[in-house]
Amino acid sequence: MLCSPKMNSMQWKNISIRFQLSILYSLLLVTLLSLFSFGVFVNTKNFLINNTAVRLKAQAKPVIQQWLYLNREIKHEIDAGYLKEKAHLLAVDLTSRDTAALVLDKHGSILATGRQLKEEPVPVPPNRSYYEKSLSGNNDVSYTERNNGHLFLVVLIPLRKAPGSPAVLGVLQLSTSLSSIENILIRQKTILIAGIILVFIAGALLGLWITTTSLKELRIMASACNEISMGDFEKRIKIPKRNDEIGRLADAFNYMIGRIKDLFDAQSRFVVNAAHELRTPLTAIQGSLEVLMRGAQDDPQAISRLTQGMYREVTRLTRMCEQLLDLSRIKNSENARRERINIKKYLEDFAQYAGIIAEGRKLTVTGEPDLYISADPDSIKQVLFNLTDNAIQHTGREGIIIFDCKSSGDKVKISISDNGSGISSEDIPHIFEPFYRGDPSRSRRRGGTGLGLTIVKTIVEANSGKIEVISKPDEKTVFTITFPLS
Amino acid sequence: MAAGNIKILVIEDEPTIIEFLRTGLKYEGYNVLIASEGRRGLEIAQHTAVDLIILDLMLPDIDGMEICKKLRIEGNKVPIIILTAKTSVADRVSGLDTGADDYITKPFSFDELVARVRALLRRTGNELEKTVLKTDDITLNVETREVMKGTRPVHLTPTEFSLLELFLRHPKRVFTRETLLNRIFGYDFAGDTNIVDVHISHLREKIQDKPPKLIRTVYGTGYALQPENE
Repeated sequence: MLCSPKMNSMQWKNISIRFQLSILYSLLLVTLLSLFSFGVFVNTKNFLINNTAVRLKAQAKPVIQQWLYLNREIKHEIDAGYLKEKAHLLAVDLTSRDTAALVLDKHGSILATGRQLKEEPVPVPPNRSYYEKSLSGNNDVSYTERNNGHLFLVVLIPLRKAPGSPAVLGVLQLSTSLSSIENILIRQKTILIAGIILVFIAGALLGLWITTTSLKELRIMASACNEISMGDFEKRIKIPKRNDEIGRLADAFNYMIGRIKDLFDAQSRFVVNAAHELRTPLTAIQGSLEVLMRGAQDDPQAISRLTQGMYREVTRLTRMCEQLLDLSRIKNSENARRERINIKKYLEDFAQYAGIIAEGRKLTVTGEPDLYISADPDSIKQVLFNLTDNAIQHTGREGIIIFDCKSSGDKVKISISDNGSGISSEDIPHIFEPFYRGDPSRSRRRGGTGLGLTIVKTIVEANSGKIEVISKPDEKTVFTITFPLS
Repeated sequence: MAAGNIKILVIEDEPTIIEFLRTGLKYEGYNVLIASEGRRGLEIAQHTAVDLIILDLMLPDIDGMEICKKLRIEGNKVPIIILTAKTSVADRVSGLDTGADDYITKPFSFDELVARVRALLRRTGNELEKTVLKTDDITLNVETREVMKGTRPVHLTPTEFSLLELFLRHPKRVFTRETLLNRIFGYDFAGDTNIVDVHISHLREKIQDKPPKLIRTVYGTGYALQPENE
């Protein structure tokens, strides 16, 4: 699958990633392989041709030695006449089945040709410019030339007055057919092209297979996402355990869905609980009104009792409404005003104030002096108030409530303990949930909204603290708040 | 009056709900016993002959279901209406399975509760819950909606029937025009109270109410049924 020139980027993006990747991979592979093959091909060609040229030169050298220089005992240098005399012998000796030899003089006219038999190759006609280059004394003149449809290698060897002499008398031209080398090169070219095509096909298929298998999980995730968006929060991505990016993505995804589900569940539980909390006061108000209108309105005593009850319920609803608003306000104001608070002193002040609502219960403050925390004093007061109120609810009039503070490393632990009825172990994990009631009636009768401890936890966390609770039924309950030391 | 002898035990812990149930049911003429704790309620039900129990499921000490189950195991057949905030079908089914006779979910209308109390008492054959109300020579059958003056049938409109039924149920009680308006036309009826006078006069005509009138005008207040023989 290749990109047509018309294909615009939109269409490219519409192709699945596995196709995109396998196409890109194979194109890259083919490009690299083509460059490499081209290099190998050119290199091979040059090597073979150079090799032939070297061979021709090597063959020529002893023959030239023998005919032109060896028998010269008297004179050290030969002249044009001597060359002319020996040219024929030289040419004949250098001519063979695959090599044609020509001897040319200074002016370019042929002194001798070595071709004697029919099957011996016809020499390539000399090329003027190469010939002159050689005549000027260049030992390395060789070129290829096409003659009668065949490729020939032509090697020109300058013939000097004496070996090493700068004076050149003529030129020996050796030409040989490159057909066999050409055949080799054509075969190599075919193999390389076929190889490139094969590599492209195999690369594309293999790439597709690899991307398909490695992206299978992505498709599983996509379909899982679809199911989850339809509302199935139980759905998880199930893929074999792996530690690569995809495995990590799947883990992160599953974790995220779990968190979303928890939040979602908490949210719907909250709504259900809130509606449930509304039922009781609404029932009471509706019933009271109906009873009044059915005739109790004719009795002043009944009016007073029923309206008092309704007022109590409306007050409870109003408080619940305010606390719900408080809750969302605290949640949205993480960086509220903070002050350095001397916690022991603060607890002492608070205990004095709380004495009013304690109805005879004993309030004690213990702990280390001069520990400071950084928090919003009004919020901390609300936390202490709600916890104290909670302790009062769970103790009799003879109850003892102890406020304590102590340092623990870089933290301050503030605890509020009472010797009341305690919290059962199955209620402990839920007591900070909005509207949760361990005991369905007690707090409600006192006008509790079910949000007190939720507000406590929210405030503590908004002030970078943590809250824990330990309780032994019918013995004691200890709430411990931990804040960073300031 | 008949309903005055019917004892209804209310087992409920919410003070405001207790208050309106007590007032409302008393007003309807029932004898109301209150237990704000489950154990106390169970005790009363076990030791006192009550005619009906209104039972809240969410109680501080024991579960309402438990009370219901215990009473049935002991062979107590007292009719029980369960009050609950749970609305799921499964909750209703399990409530009825434990032996409750009826089920009403919060928030509920008091009218509906009263209607159910009456229906349940009739259904369980409580002789004190009469379907035929009588005064002097007037007879009113709640079920067949027939009214007789002596031996002669009287044809009443639904409004007139409701008025007469209300008076017969609560003889001697003085009803203000507002209360009558609420009871007969509904709580959200925004009409003038004069309309009550119009319907009363029609009713009187139909039952040939001659002085000394059975349905008496209480000057400045409203109306009351005043049987001659009492």
